[in-house]
Amino acid sequence: MRATREGWGFCSTPLSRVMRSVPNVLAAGLALLLCLRAGASPAPWSGASITNIVRHELAQVVLSKGTQRQALLDALADSGSKLAGEVLKAWMTQGVYLYGAPDGSTVPVMLDSQQDAQGRARAIRIDDGQPLKDAAGKELRFGETDLNPANTDLRLRRAIRHVLDTLALADPDPDARYAAATKLGNSQNESYLPLLKKRLAKEKSAYVNKGLKGAIATLQLSDTDSAVQIAAVEELAALSSIGSLDDLTQLAANTNNSPQLAKAIQFAIGSINDHIKWVNFFGTIFHGISLGSVLLVVSLGLAITFGLMGVINMAHGEMIAVGAYTTYVIQNVFGAGFAFSITLPFSIAGKPIAFGLDLPGLNASGWFYQSYFLYAIPLSFITAALVGLLLERAIIQFLYRRPLESLLATWGVSLALQQIFRMVFGANNVQVNSPNWLLGHFTIDDVSFDYNRIFVIGFAALIVIGTWLLLSKTSLGLLIRAVMQNRSMAACMGVRTNRVNMLTFAFGSGLAGLAGAFLSQIGNVGPSLGQTYIVDSFMTVVVGGVGSMLGTVYSALGIGTADQTLQQLTGSPVTGKIVVLVCIILFLQWKPGGLFAIRSRTLD
Amino acid sequence: MPPKSSKAELTAVAVVGVFFIVILPCLNAYVPAGSWLHVSDFTINVYGKYLCYALLAISVDLLWGYTGLLSLGQALFFSLGGYMMGMYLMRMIGSLGQYHEPIPDFLVFLGWSNLPNFWKPFNHFVFAMMMAVLLPSVVAAIFGFLAFRSRIRGVYFAILTQALTYAACLLFFRNSLLMGGNNGFTDFKFLLGYNLNSPATQRGLFVCTALSLLLAYLLCKWITTTKFGKIQRAIRDCENRVLFSGYSTANFKLFVFVLAAIIASLGGVLYVPQVGIINPSEMAPDRSLEAVVWVAVGGRGTLVGPIVGAFLVNALKTWATRAYPDLWLLFLGAMFIFVTLFMPKGIVGLPAQLAALKRRFFAPKPAAPKTLPAVIERTRAIEQRPVAKPE
Repeated sequence: MRATREGWGFCSTPLSRVMRSVPNVLAAGLALLLCLRAGASPAPWSGASITNIVRHELAQVVLSKGTQRQALLDALADSGSKLAGEVLKAWMTQGVYLYGAPDGSTVPVMLDSQQDAQGRARAIRIDDGQPLKDAAGKELRFGETDLNPANTDLRLRRAIRHVLDTLALADPDPDARYAAATKLGNSQNESYLPLLKKRLAKEKSAYVNKGLKGAIATLQLSDTDSAVQIAAVEELAALSSIGSLDDLTQLAANTNNSPQLAKAIQFAIGSINDHIKWVNFFGTIFHGISLGSVLLVVSLGLAITFGLMGVINMAHGEMIAVGAYTTYVIQNVFGAGFAFSITLPFSIAGKPIAFGLDLPGLNASGWFYQSYFLYAIPLSFITAALVGLLLERAIIQFLYRRPLESLLATWGVSLALQQIFRMVFGANNVQVNSPNWLLGHFTIDDVSFDYNRIFVIGFAALIVIGTWLLLSKTSLGLLIRAVMQNRSMAACMGVRTNRVNMLTFAFGSGLAGLAGAFLSQIGNVGPSLGQTYIVDSFMTVVVGGVGSMLGTVYSALGIGTADQTLQQLTGSPVTGKIVVLVCIILFLQWKPGGLFAIRSRTLD
Repeated sequence: MPPKSSKAELTAVAVVGVFFIVILPCLNAYVPAGSWLHVSDFTINVYGKYLCYALLAISVDLLWGYTGLLSLGQALFFSLGGYMMGMYLMRMIGSLGQYHEPIPDFLVFLGWSNLPNFWKPFNHFVFAMMMAVLLPSVVAAIFGFLAFRSRIRGVYFAILTQALTYAACLLFFRNSLLMGGNNGFTDFKFLLGYNLNSPATQRGLFVCTALSLLLAYLLCKWITTTKFGKIQRAIRDCENRVLFSGYSTANFKLFVFVLAAIIASLGGVLYVPQVGIINPSEMAPDRSLEAVVWVAVGGRGTLVGPIVGAFLVNALKTWATRAYPDLWLLFLGAMFIFVTLFMPKGIVGLPAQLAALKRRFFAPKPAAPKTLPAVIERTRAIEQRPVAKPE
């Protein structure tokens, strides 16, 4: 027997259409990402021989004088080497020392950051990067006062600063180049103009180009020639440079402006404000969708246990916490290990009851450590699913016909689990570090997209697709739907409803565990983590229409976006939340069964 | 008409009532402190608190046990009553606060120099008490009207009431509401001119609370024995049949919901001067759930049950949070699971449950085979369970 599919919101056409177009969207997004990457990375400036040349030049520049020194500095500025930046910075702060070698020559050195007990450190030769040794080949150690620092005067420091700025503009990381350009643009020092212009001629990245142009135009705003000023203002308007809004407003307050200039400024301010509006708009939508994805992942498990099975699992939030804590434990196992022990205030035969666990750590580092999250995802699913299985067998299987009582019993479970978390992991939040590859963000036209938010959205999509596939394409899914639609009829057909219930509940709990793994990356992990989301996720399922997966998807994204928008409009997260809750109550007046109510002619 | 058990129940209530209203306060006031009969001020205070919780529990039971509406928002009405009383008590502090200003301390802290307008009428006790009745009933009426009109029931009703409490809790946490933010109201001094710190005032409040509980009990008892009560229970057992019999169930439910809100609010009004503090955590979603636990443990669908439950669970809590602070929540959770699974009728229903067990295990079983007539007889018995008869 095949259960009819019509009742399942998940299988109705709109989502399948979405599903079909998903690969295209993904491909487009991927292509976009690739373009960005390709445009952003210039040829890396590296290689042992080149480093040697830079080191040699650096040693030379410290020892040389006058025009020769200036020429060397210019050469270094063109090198774009990070090492040169470090050494020059140290030189400015008297961190480069001169060592008089026994053979009469002078060797410029820097002191190592690692000091021994006497406060002395190894001296690293600038010219070859090797530690300084005496005739016997033993490493020499010096305190900070043992050597003469290489002195700098005002003119030299100015020259070095110039080199450092140039180096910053030539940094291999486009974000760093952009930041350097912006910094120079805001310096109000017109002497940087030639430097910026020189870099602009060489710059290949469109993103950094924009930053450079903006910086140049911002500096030109204080030009004495009105025509240059107008050109700069127009340039800023064309670039929609948000950073220059303050400068423009300041300039607009100047009463000596010519009429053309004033007009240009007004236009520029207007267009930049428009741009800000759009940036905020897309930023809000992006945040809304990512919040919606979090809600979606959190409520998807509930949509199965509550929506499909009719079990009010108040411990759903604690299943989320189980997932989050599993991630924490895995992280610690990859690091220094995880241990806990609890002593109960009772004793049997004079011995206090105590139990504990001691997992040794792998002490991993680098990429292997960063990959802990990849292992944590499936493990948090499995752990939460096992806890759910236990819960179903021990308690919920007796309460299928008494939904209100299942609410109360599971609330008891939720209290007990929270206390167990407190005893095992402590009452405070625990620290879960995001792996490096989830940190950072990229920017398209001033709208910044965080990697972890994008990850959340992508992961939510994956989970939804996975759940949909499981429910509609596998025989387990068929059994699940059959049992949920009509338990007694399915039992009559020979379906082992008990076992199906068990697996469904475990699956729903496992999804909650996945949500927990997620939330550990974007929020705090503490014993009351689940409580934060339980009201929200129940609302999401009710609004979406109980029993309809597609409804849950829509309502999660809708509530997420509405929440973010209202936060922007009302200026306070709490007011936004209250308004959303009130709106939901009113919405249920209009559609008591939720967005996608399952039509049925039965009454209760 | 009332069965025998009801008479026994009334006698028991009368005895316990006299004990709480007369004997306990007398033991506190007239027996010297050294005597073993003496009841300490602390005990009076703690019992007074339990009595307020019992009011809250009765309101939950009136909804859940008698009408089948599980409300997870009763703590909201309890706190609203408490806040109204708290506003009056805050005004009675006068200039004795930390800042010695004629307005409440937290307003001074927020930079106010004059009293906001909506605070002004709360100088009067009568107005505060009127608001303590009006505000919860208006909130309950609006919410109930919307919920019952669109036939939200069962689990959905529970979740929506929880959302309502959650929203209110978030709202009261905000300083801009000018209701004390997350610190709420505290440091009360006087109630109607009596010093709140004196044992005599606390004793008076205790007697008031016990009397209110008795009155609430009698009121609910009366309601549940009238025809109205019958319809109430009919709604609980099968709402659709009542609906099809021509009753507007929404109106019945709305009335009960508002009445329960007022009873809960009364509990809050008496709770605040005895405990000396009210803050938004009183209306956090888990407070309402805790009240549901008391009812479940005591026995729902009876009026004695919630009172017993509120007393026992809270006494256990007072003891366990001191003896085993780490394990209390484990106890509570385990107790809850146990009661739901094995004692659906709570403590009050325990004797009947034990008697049934005894019959099952010790009485000799009649060796009658299950013939078809016997099955038919049983089915008929089930079919003829009492339901509300149409007029």
